[in-house]
Amino acid sequence: MSNPLSASKWNHATAAHLLNRAGFGGPPHEIRKLAELGLDKAVDQLVEYEQFPDETARPDWAKPDPERVERFQKLRSASAEQRRELQREEQRRQRERIFELRQWWLKRMAGGPRPLQEKLALFWHGHFATSMQKVRDAYLMWLQNETFRRYASGNWLTMLTAISKDPAMLIWLDQAQSRKEHPNENFAREVMELFALGEGHYTEKDVTEAARALTGWSYDRFTQEYVNRPRLHDSGNKTFLGRSGFLTGNDVLEQIVAHPQAGRFIVAKLWGYFASDNAPQGLIDDFTSVFRKNGNEFKPLLKAMFRSEAFYSDSVIRSQVKSPVQWLVSSVRMLEAELPPPMLSSNALRLLGQDLFAPPNVKGWDGGLAWITTNNLLNRYNLAALLVTGENLVAMGPGGPNGAMRRPRFNNVRRIAGLSIDRILTEDQRRNKDALIRALEERLLQAKLRDKQEKALRDYLDAQGDLDDSDILHAIRLLMSTPEFQLT
Amino acid sequence: MKQRIELKTRREFLQTSVLGASLAWTVPSFLAQTFSALHAQAVDSATPSATGRDSEILVVLQMAGGNDGLNTLVPFANDHYFRARPRLGLPVNTVLKLNDELGFHPGLSAFKDLFDSGHLSIIQGVGYPNPNRSHFRSTEIWQTASDANKFEKHGWIGRYFDSACKGAEPTVGVNIGRQTPQAFASSKPVGVSLDNPENYRFASSDQPEEGETAASEPFFRKLNRPAAPLEMDGASSVNAGASIGSLTGRASVGGSPLDYLERVALDAQVSSDKILGLSRSVANKATYPVSPLANSLKLVARLIGGGLPTRIFYVSQGGYDTHTNQVGAHERLLKDLGDSVKAFISDLKAQGNFQRVLMMTFSEFGRRVAENANGGTDHGAAAPLFVLGDKVKAGLLGKQPSLDPADLANGDLKFTTDFRSVYAGILERWLKTDSAPVLGRKFERLECV
Repeated sequence: MSNPLSASKWNHATAAHLLNRAGFGGPPHEIRKLAELGLDKAVDQLVEYEQFPDETARPDWAKPDPERVERFQKLRSASAEQRRELQREEQRRQRERIFELRQWWLKRMAGGPRPLQEKLALFWHGHFATSMQKVRDAYLMWLQNETFRRYASGNWLTMLTAISKDPAMLIWLDQAQSRKEHPNENFAREVMELFALGEGHYTEKDVTEAARALTGWSYDRFTQEYVNRPRLHDSGNKTFLGRSGFLTGNDVLEQIVAHPQAGRFIVAKLWGYFASDNAPQGLIDDFTSVFRKNGNEFKPLLKAMFRSEAFYSDSVIRSQVKSPVQWLVSSVRMLEAELPPPMLSSNALRLLGQDLFAPPNVKGWDGGLAWITTNNLLNRYNLAALLVTGENLVAMGPGGPNGAMRRPRFNNVRRIAGLSIDRILTEDQRRNKDALIRALEERLLQAKLRDKQEKALRDYLDAQGDLDDSDILHAIRLLMSTPEFQLT
Repeated sequence: MKQRIELKTRREFLQTSVLGASLAWTVPSFLAQTFSALHAQAVDSATPSATGRDSEILVVLQMAGGNDGLNTLVPFANDHYFRARPRLGLPVNTVLKLNDELGFHPGLSAFKDLFDSGHLSIIQGVGYPNPNRSHFRSTEIWQTASDANKFEKHGWIGRYFDSACKGAEPTVGVNIGRQTPQAFASSKPVGVSLDNPENYRFASSDQPEEGETAASEPFFRKLNRPAAPLEMDGASSVNAGASIGSLTGRASVGGSPLDYLERVALDAQVSSDKILGLSRSVANKATYPVSPLANSLKLVARLIGGGLPTRIFYVSQGGYDTHTNQVGAHERLLKDLGDSVKAFISDLKAQGNFQRVLMMTFSEFGRRVAENANGGTDHGAAAPLFVLGDKVKAGLLGKQPSLDPADLANGDLKFTTDFRSVYAGILERWLKTDSAPVLGRKFERLECV
C-alpha cells in the first residue's frame, strides 16, 4: 500500500493531484512542467524546497517592540479617558498588523517558491492552533508562523521543543504563568492530548507531573522572548510516562516523542491533511515505520507519502474538501489572478470559516466536511464572483439583518480588478465552445466534467449566442459555484 | 429564449428539491435522489415541508462581553452592594423593585412589565465551577457546556441537533449573525447563519435589472442539482422510493464528499429561497426600537411567523464589556434589551405564536463585585440569567449569591446554579429531550419552565 506508484500511472492528472495536495495547485503550464519531471523528481522538487531561495522580507513591524511595555506602563498611570484612547490605539495597531500578516502569508502561499513549506506551515498552524484573540501581539503571531516554517519538515522533537518555547504558545496555553507553587496544567495537558499523543495514552498523574517539570519555561514580556526562570522551576522528583527523576521540560518532551503512540499520532494527522481521513490501518503503520526509521524526521516521511500508490488512489484524488485558504489560494493560482486586497481576503476567509491567526479554539479547525454549511457554501459561490468578475456581492461589513443594501459593499469596495481572460484562454478557446469547455475543465477541475454538468454549461454558453469576455467570466464563476469545485 | 429555459428549470427544480431537502440526512443520497425523481413525476406543485410548524422554539440571546449582573438585578437592600460600589451603586429610589431585596435596573422597565405579567423567570447566581475570566474561554465554556478544564469541540446546541433532530432541515437552527456560534458546532454541520437574508442566496452579477432573473441563475440551479435520475436503474428505484418511509431516522450519510456537497448545495438553495421569501413576505406586527438586536429579533419573528421549521434561533447583543464609564452604556444596553424583547413578544402574541416560543439569555460572566477606578467593572463570575415565555415558572428562581466579602472568590460572586442545570431544564421540559447526551452527563434540572 505504501509501495510507490508505478511510473506508468504518472501523468497530468496525478501530477495535478500532487501539486494540489502538496501545494496550492497551479495553472496548466505548471502542472505540465511537474508531470514532465517524472514522479521522483517532482516529489523531490516539492520536498527539497530549501534549494529554492525564498527572499520574502518580514513585515517591517515584525521585530521586538521595546516601547510596547512602556506603553502598557503608561496605561496604568493614565486617566480613564487616556487609557481608553491608548487601548483603542493599541487594538487598532494590532488589528492592522494582523490584516497585513494574513496577506503576507497568503502571498507566500500563492506566489512563493516553496509551496510545500507554506502548506506545512498551514498544517502546523492548525495543529498548534494559537489565536491572536488571546495572544494580542501580531509580532508574536508572526514569530510563531516563522517557527512553523523553519521546522516545517524537520525533526519532530525539534519542532515540539521549539513550539513549547514559542512566546505565542507560552501565552496561549498559560505556560508563561506556571510556577512551582501553582503549576498550570493547560499546556502540559494539550501537548499530550492535542499535539502529540491523543487521549487515552497518558494519565491525569502524567499531566500534573509534566506541568511540574515544565515550570520555569516562561515568557519575558520586555524582550518578547522565551526565558527560562530557574526560580519558578519545580526541581523535585517526578514520574512521567514511566520515567522517574528530577525531570525537566526537555525530559518531558523527549519522553513524549519516544512514546510508541507519538509516531502514529502525527503520521496519521499528516496523512489526513495531505491525503485522506480514512486511511487503512496498515498504511499508517507502514508510514510510521518510515518515520521512526528515519529518526522522526518529516522529510523522508513526506517523500514516501507523496510517492505512494495509496496517495494516488481513486478514493483520494478529488475527494478532499478544499479548506477556505486552499479554496482562495488555489483559485487565484489556477486563474493566474491576483489575491484580493488585504481586507477583502481577510474578510472572505472569515466568512468562509478560516480566520488565519484566529482558529476557533486550541483544537484548531475541524476541516473536511465541516467546512461546508449551507451558508458558507453560498458564501463560496458568491465570493467566486469577486475573484472572477471582480464584483463584490457579499456584505462583509456592518450591515444587519434588515440592511437595505441589495448590492452590498465593504469599505466601499464594490469592485476590484477581475480576471484578464486573454491571459488564460487562447483566441480559439474563446470562440470555440468545445475548446472552451475543455480548457475550463482542465484549468478549474483538472478532471472531466460530469455529463450533466457539461450539458448545463453548454446550455449556458449556447443561450448567450456569440460569446464575449463577460459571458466567459460568468461561465467560470458558474463552474466555481458547483459542488465539485469545492473538492480537490 | 432565456426566459423559457428559466421557467422550465425552476419548475423542475422546485419539484425535486423540496423533497430532497426534507430527506437530507435521513436517507442515503442515492435513495433521496430516487425519491426526488419519483416525485418529480407525481407532484406538480411545490408543497412546503410541514415539519416543525407546531413544535416548540427556543430563542437564545447572547449578551456578549460579560453583563454586570449586580446592576441588572440590583440587591438594593444590601449594604455590601453599596460599599463595593460607591459610585456605580444604583440609588434605591430608581430601582424597579421586585421584592424587598431585589429590583431591576431602571432601564429594564420592559422586563419589569414582563415579570409582573408572569412571563419572566429570573435565575439567580448562574455560573460554573472554576470560573474563567477570559471572554474567549468563558464564552466557549457556555457554548460547549464543558467543564472549565475541558476543551470541547462541539456546542450544546449542535449536540442537541445531533441527538434529537436527526433528519431535520438545515434551518432547524438559525443564527442571526455572520459567524456561526460555537454552540452550533456539531459532528455534522447543521443550521444556518445569516445576518442579511438578501445575502443568503446565490447572488448573480449579471442580473439585468432589479427584480429580473439573472441570465446565469437557471444554469446555476441546474449545475447544483443532484445527479440526474438517469444514473439509476428504473425498476429498483421505484421500490426504493416506495419504502422510503421506513428509513426515516436512520442516520446514514450517504457515500462520497461529492454526495454530501450536492446535498448541502440543494439545502442551501431550498433554505435560501424560503428564508428570502419569508423575510420579504411576512410583516412584523409590533413596533420595535431601532438597534441591531431589535433588527435580529424582527427577522426571527418574521421567520417564526412564516413557519420556518426551526427549533433554535440564536441572536446576540454586544457591548457589555463595561470596564470604563459604565453608567450610560449599561443603561442603553439594558433598555435596548428590554424594549427589543418586549416588542418581539408582542409581535409573537399578535401572530398567535407566543405560546410556542421560549427565550433564554446568557452572558459569558458577570462582573467583579467591587467597581474599578474607571467608573466601570472588571470581568467577574456568576450573574443572573433570564428565561422568558408564556409557560415559564415566573419569578425569582435559584439563590442570590452572598455579597459578603468573606464569601467572595477573588472578588467574585460564587455561583449557586450551574448553567448546565438551566440547559437541562430547558432541554427536558421545553425541547422534550434527554439532556444527558447533549450535556455529556446528567445535571440537576432547574425547573424554569
